[in-house]
Amino acid sequence: MIKEIRPTVFVVDDDAAVRDSLRMLLKSVGLPVEVFESGQEFLDAERDDRPGCLVLDIRMPGMSGLELQVKLNERHSILPIIFITGHGDVPMAVEAMQAGAVDFIQKPFRDQDLLDRINQALEKDAGSRRMLAERNMIRKRLESLTPREREVLDLVVAGKANKVIAGDLNLSQRTVEIHRARVMEKMEAHSLAHLVRMVLEVERAEE
Amino acid sequence: MPDDRATTPAPPRTAGRPARSSQAELEFRSLLDAAVDAIIVIDHRGQVEQFSMSAERIFGYAAEEVVGHNVNMLMPEPYRGEHDGYLARYSATREARIIGIGREVRARRKDGAIFPCELAVGQVAGIEPPRFIGFIRDITLRKQADERLRRSESELRLAQELANLGNYVVHPDRSEPDYYSPQLCRILGIGVSDEDEPFMTLLDRWVHPSDREKLEDAFGDFHSTGASCDVEYRVLLQDGSTRYLHHIAQLTRDPHSGTLKHVGTIHDVTDRRQSEDEARQLQERLTHFSRLSTMGEMAAGLAHEINQPLSAIATYAQACQRFLKMPDGDEADVVEALQQINAQALRAGEVIRRLRNFVKNREVKREPVDCNRLLDDLRTLAETDARLHNVRLRIEAESNLPTVYADPIQLQQVVLNLVRNAIDAMAEAPETRREVVLSTRMTPDGEIEVVVADHGTGLAAEATEHLFNPFFTTKSGGTGLGLAISLSIVRAHGGRLWHTPNEGTGARFHFTLPVSPAPKGE
Repeated sequence: MIKEIRPTVFVVDDDAAVRDSLRMLLKSVGLPVEVFESGQEFLDAERDDRPGCLVLDIRMPGMSGLELQVKLNERHSILPIIFITGHGDVPMAVEAMQAGAVDFIQKPFRDQDLLDRINQALEKDAGSRRMLAERNMIRKRLESLTPREREVLDLVVAGKANKVIAGDLNLSQRTVEIHRARVMEKMEAHSLAHLVRMVLEVERAEE
Repeated sequence: MPDDRATTPAPPRTAGRPARSSQAELEFRSLLDAAVDAIIVIDHRGQVEQFSMSAERIFGYAAEEVVGHNVNMLMPEPYRGEHDGYLARYSATREARIIGIGREVRARRKDGAIFPCELAVGQVAGIEPPRFIGFIRDITLRKQADERLRRSESELRLAQELANLGNYVVHPDRSEPDYYSPQLCRILGIGVSDEDEPFMTLLDRWVHPSDREKLEDAFGDFHSTGASCDVEYRVLLQDGSTRYLHHIAQLTRDPHSGTLKHVGTIHDVTDRRQSEDEARQLQERLTHFSRLSTMGEMAAGLAHEINQPLSAIATYAQACQRFLKMPDGDEADVVEALQQINAQALRAGEVIRRLRNFVKNREVKREPVDCNRLLDDLRTLAETDARLHNVRLRIEAESNLPTVYADPIQLQQVVLNLVRNAIDAMAEAPETRREVVLSTRMTPDGEIEVVVADHGTGLAAEATEHLFNPFFTTKSGGTGLGLAISLSIVRAHGGRLWHTPNEGTGARFHFTLPVSPAPKGE
C-alpha cells in the first residue's frame, strides 16, 4: 500500500497579490496549499508527483502556464491542472484543455466556483492515484507468477478450458488445475471474472 | 545751409553808378554785401538799383550786368512776364500780395538754370515812388535734402510695410514726444497719435497671458541696466487677433541733447509662427494619436493588468468572509486580508492613473526628467504587454544619472514603443530567451543613453532601410507610426535614435538625450 499523503493545492502565479489571496482563500477552507511564483520554481520543487492539484496562471513572464503544462506532461505527471485565465484567453484555454487540463476559470472568480473545481480536481487525482495504485498492485502480482503460471493465466484469460490448455501446453489436466489455483491465489482473484478484469486493466494501460 | 555762401565781405560796389560818399550809403552797402541772402533793391518800375555780392554769387551775374535792368531778367516764366503787372497793380491799389510775406518761388540764374528760392519783399519806407527790397535765399540744397529725406522716408515706410516691421522711439522722461512708425501703428492697430498711453503700457496690457512672464523677464532690468533686449511674445490686439511680435529694444542717449531714448523695432512674425505652430500642433496630434493607438493595441494587456488586483481583491474578500465565519478564526488573517484589499485597490487605481496620464491630450511641457524614475513609472504599462506575451522585463539602471530636459510623457512613449517592438520581435523566441532589457547609462560624451535590447528575430537588412519611415510596418496590426514618431520625438529633444544588432540574436535600440543645463543661479 502507498502511504497516504494529504492532497495539497499547488498555486503557480507570478502576481504576488493573486498568489497570496489564493493562499489565504485555501487556508480559510482548511486546504493545504503551497505557492510558487514561476513555472521553473514549481518544477525545481518536484511536487508534481504529490497528490493534489495545480492552480496555474496561464499568462506569466518567461515560462507561460501552457509551457509548464507541456513540461509536466513530458514528466508523465498526472497532477490535474486548473488554469486561471484572464479576459479573452479562451483560445489559450482551449489549447490547455486539449493538452489535458481538467478545467479553467476566468478571473475574477467566485470563491465557490474555484473551490468546486479544486474539489473535483482533487477527487479526480485521488481516483487516478487509486487506479494507478491498483495497476501497480496487479503488476506486482503478475510479476510474482512463474513463467508456466503466466502461460496458464494468458490461456485462461483467453477463455480456454483446462482440457484445451493441457493440450496446448502438453501438460496433464491435473497439473493445469494446480497452476490455475496458484494463479488465482497469487492474483488474489475472487473469481474468474475478477481475474480477467485485472489482466485487461493492466493490458489496456500498457497499450 | 552750406557754408560756402558766407564768403569774406569784399569792398562795396559802386557798379556803374556815380559814387555817393555819404556815410549811410557806405554802411548800407556793407550791410548788403555781408548778407548771406541775395539782396536786390528795385524801383517802382522794376529797375534794379542794388545787387548785393551774394546776389552776384547766387545768380551768376555781375552787379553791373543787372543794375539798371528790369528785375524780371532774374525770373523764369510766368513771373517774368507778369512782374511788371504786379508792380503796376501795387502802385495803383497798394494792395500787398507779397510785401511783408515770405514766399517760395523759382528764380533764374545767368546760365538759365532755374532754382528754388525763398523770397521776402519789403518796401523801403517813406519814399515815393516806392522802392522795394528783396531778400532771396537759394534753397536748392535744402530742397534736395528734403527730397532725399522724403524719398528715404517713403522707402523706409515701404520696407517696413513689406517686412511688417515697425520702429519706435520713446523718451522715458517724457521730454520729447514719442515716435511710432506708421507700420508699427498698423501692426498694433493703434493711431499715430495714441501718445497719451505709454507704449510699453499698451504692450503690457495686450501681451498674451502665457507670455507675460517672458516679456517681464526680458524688460525686467532693461531700464536700469540699459542692456539691449530681444524677445518674442504674443499679443492679443483690440480687434481680437493674436499677433506674434519679435521685439528688439535698446536704450540710447541722444548725442546732442543727452536725453535717454528707448528705441526699438517690432517685427510681426505671426505668419511664420503660425505655420510653425500648425506644423507643431499637427505633430503633437499625431503623437497623441499614436499614444492612443498604442493603448488601443494594448487594451487586452491593460484589462489584464487591472483585472489582477480586482481578482486579488475579490479573493481576499471571500477569504475574509470565511475567516469571520470560522468559530476559532484568527483575527490576524482578517486584518492581513483587509490590508491587502486596500493595497490592491490602490494598485488598480495606479494603473488607471498611469494609463490616463499617458493618453491624456495635454500640452507638451519640458522639465528636468530622471530617466531611471521614468523607466520605473513606465514599468506598469510596459509589463502589461510583457506579461501578455510571457516576456520578462528587466531594468538595468546606472545610478545617479543627471536629469534630461524633456517631456516625460513623450519619452515614455518612445520607450514603450521600443519595448513593444522588442516584445513583438520575440513572439517566436523560446521561453528562455524571452527577455527585454532596458538600460540607462551616461555616455563618454556626457549624454544619457537608453537602450532597449531584445533577443528576437533581429532586423532584416531590407527592413532597416525603411524602419523609420512613416507607415512602414512588418506587423499585421501596426500603424507604422511608432518608430517614425519616436525618432521625431527624440530629435526634437536634441537626441539621436539608432539600432545595433544584439549579441547573439535580436536587436538593440538606443537613444540619447542631452543632459539638462544646470539650473539658473548655480
